[in-house]
Amino acid sequence: MGFGSAGIPKLQYAKFLASCLGYFSSRQRDRVGLVTFVNGIVEYVPPAAKHLPIVLQTIARATAGGQGSIDAALRQIAEHARRRQIVVIISDLYDEPERVVRAVARLRNRGNDLIVLQVLDPAELEFPFDDAANFEDMESGEAIPVVPGLLREQYRTLMQEHTATLARLMREERIDYALFNTAQPLDHALFAYLADRQRLSRIR
Amino acid sequence: MSLTFLAPLFLLGLVAVAVPVIVHLVNRERHNAVAFPSLMFLRRVPFRSVRRQRIRHWALFALRCLALALLALAFARPFLDRESRSASGAGAGPRELVVLLDRSYSMAYGDRWSRARAAAERAIAGIGGADRATLVLFDHEAIATAGPTGDAAVVRTALRDARPGVGSTRYAPALAVAQQLMDRAERPRREVVLISDFQRAGWDGQELPRLAAPATLATVDVGDSTTTNTLVTGVDVSRDARDGVDRAIVAARIARQGQRAVPGARATLELSGREVEVKQVTLPASGATSVTFAAVAVPDATTRGTVRVSGPASDDRLPVDDVFHFVIARAQVVPVLLIESVGAPATRTMFLPRALGIGDRPAFRVVQRRSDRVTAADVDAARVVVLHGAGMPAGAVGDRIRTLVRGGGGLIVALGENSGTRAWSGNSELLPGAVGDIIDRSADRGGTMGSLDRSHPALESFRGTRSGDFTSARYLRYRALSPTTTDNVLARFDDGTVALAERRVGEGRVLVFSSTFDGYWNDLPVQPVFLPLVQSLVRHAAGWTPQRPWKTVGQVMNVSETGARGEVMAVAPSGERTRWSEKDSVRSLALREQGFYEIRDSNAVVANRIVAVNPDATESELGAFAPDELTRAVSPRGAVTTTVAGVTTLSVAERERRQTLWWYVLVAALLLLAAESLLSNRLSRTARHDVALAEGRMDHA
Repeated sequence: MGFGSAGIPKLQYAKFLASCLGYFSSRQRDRVGLVTFVNGIVEYVPPAAKHLPIVLQTIARATAGGQGSIDAALRQIAEHARRRQIVVIISDLYDEPERVVRAVARLRNRGNDLIVLQVLDPAELEFPFDDAANFEDMESGEAIPVVPGLLREQYRTLMQEHTATLARLMREERIDYALFNTAQPLDHALFAYLADRQRLSRIR
Repeated sequence: MSLTFLAPLFLLGLVAVAVPVIVHLVNRERHNAVAFPSLMFLRRVPFRSVRRQRIRHWALFALRCLALALLALAFARPFLDRESRSASGAGAGPRELVVLLDRSYSMAYGDRWSRARAAAERAIAGIGGADRATLVLFDHEAIATAGPTGDAAVVRTALRDARPGVGSTRYAPALAVAQQLMDRAERPRREVVLISDFQRAGWDGQELPRLAAPATLATVDVGDSTTTNTLVTGVDVSRDARDGVDRAIVAARIARQGQRAVPGARATLELSGREVEVKQVTLPASGATSVTFAAVAVPDATTRGTVRVSGPASDDRLPVDDVFHFVIARAQVVPVLLIESVGAPATRTMFLPRALGIGDRPAFRVVQRRSDRVTAADVDAARVVVLHGAGMPAGAVGDRIRTLVRGGGGLIVALGENSGTRAWSGNSELLPGAVGDIIDRSADRGGTMGSLDRSHPALESFRGTRSGDFTSARYLRYRALSPTTTDNVLARFDDGTVALAERRVGEGRVLVFSSTFDGYWNDLPVQPVFLPLVQSLVRHAAGWTPQRPWKTVGQVMNVSETGARGEVMAVAPSGERTRWSEKDSVRSLALREQGFYEIRDSNAVVANRIVAVNPDATESELGAFAPDELTRAVSPRGAVTTTVAGVTTLSVAERERRQTLWWYVLVAALLLLAAESLLSNRLSRTARHDVALAEGRMDHA
């Protein structure tokens, strides 16, 4: 999540997004909590009406690092969720779509309302690199030589298939899913998503 | 012709070609490692050869490799070695080879001779089987020293014994010998190899003996592109005998060829083998200077003189011309017998002796006699007799005068009142024409000199423009003179009357001036032209010629003119002796050595004559012409395509320096590097953009 090519890293974008949603929920007098995770839970703020400042402070402290697995993290979160809640998962979702959906669906099966927000950098979507280079995995540190010009189209295809598969599987599991491109202004993206959610809720 | 390198070790620089490979394959990717959130999708793309994928900018890669390779080549100093086209030539069948080896003294410059000899050895190296070779050494003359022979060892031995001499370069004799040898040759392949420094002085562009087909000419240039030389070009010896002591003042002219001046050079004067004076002199760059030594008293005999110049050895690679020999001969005096008419007053006779008394080149010793007092001994002691207004003496004196003239002496006659026809009765064969009556020009205030033959040797000192004003003198009286067609008329008065005429009698000369030298019949003695005129007439009548203090190598000397009679011997500077017997009608001596020749009677201890001999100074002019010019002039007509081109056997460094291929290679390398910079800058802009994409996350990680 520490990656960023368009001026704002994904983590920062995700923090703004989480803060906005927390603020909105607090203004609705909902109880607000927070879980940050990598391979497991890093920090946990239980939901409460007065926990918004703590939530915001925790969001501000969050840093990128480590090799994460959403499956293990959501398994632990499910253990903490005692009552029905609205769970918003903000992640770049670099995992197999089936495994992601399976992990997310485990929470939904407990009666939670799930919203999955995938945050990606435009470079992750478009792969605009030209120069041959060693591409280094920011989580594992592994590097492979890449000639972007030769891989670009295949990469884009794979990424589009990935997001499309996620969207399809989420829809099949009746899980709200939205893709946030960090190149888009946050307010615009968030407004569009909320408006869309409101429209869909009427249909439901 | 092959590509050779002066500094082949620099070719190790080709290893530097690996640098761009490393840049492309290793370093560049390491520096530009891009952090990416996940390689999840990249791993799924089918894998391609990393090696092939990494070299993407082939043009840039090729530019870098080529530029580095050219840099290495430039530092290795490449040049085209055309010596592979040796005189062995191409074609089949036995060959006739003539090697013309220049041995003029300019070949002693630096290492020219060793290079020339090496080239000759290479030329004869291929001799074998039915081949024949001839070695011709030449300077101003050509001598076949070995061959024609099929034994290369014979030629090689002659080559080993050969040395550069003191002669000057002349190509015509050498090519004439080559032409003769080629005309007599029976081998199908006929080759002439000319090894020389191709001095410009050796060929003035005139036609040279042309080889007949199928002969070919190969030239081997052993000259140097830049030369430095110091030489003594000549000396001037003037005499000073004012206080009774004969002194010689020697001035030497020293020339220098070179781009920088040389201070502190030493000029040394030696007389009779002893060092007399040393002077420090600054030699100008590409110029000449003069050094005048102090006056030195010289004995009344021939003195050997030498001027040497010495400076830093690095600035003078031709020592032969640093020495100049000359002789200081005893003072030359022309004895003159002046015979006046019996009744001539003293005032009439004063002009002529005084005018001759001033002369010093040569000096004139004048003895005055009245015609009734003159003796045969007076005539015997004279070289020139002047009859001033007097007739031909009778008796023994007259006989002696006739003998003197026929033996090479001179007679000058100034016609006066007593020089009528009767005065010459019986001696008319001496005079250039019949003497007539007196012509009086008093009525028209005197006549003037109308015309002069200034090309005549007697008047050649007035040959220059506006030299000698003969029109200012007025001639009131003169005698008519009617020369025959065989006589020479040197001057005429404005009325056409002969003023000066000459007749050759035996070995001598008779000059007749139809007026006087006394100021009574004319005012010539008070004119500026009088003194040089009478001196010139007496010199001519005496047959006097200025004796040069030295001769030049290559000249042929008539030994008889030295005065030696009977059996004569010449001793060369090397000690080589040449003898002539009394029966030898032709006694000529070819001067081939530098130094002093002695010519003397066989039994005499003291030399009759000492002759100083110096190399021809033109040989010291080291400028060269293109050998191709000579090749074209000598090669068979219409056989240009078969003519072997010039072959150079300069030192490796010199050959490389002349071609300077490294310069062009270096320029090409620099141009490639410039192109590489432009291309890489353009590509790096794209690369920087990629890096910026990757580095953006670092600010927030």
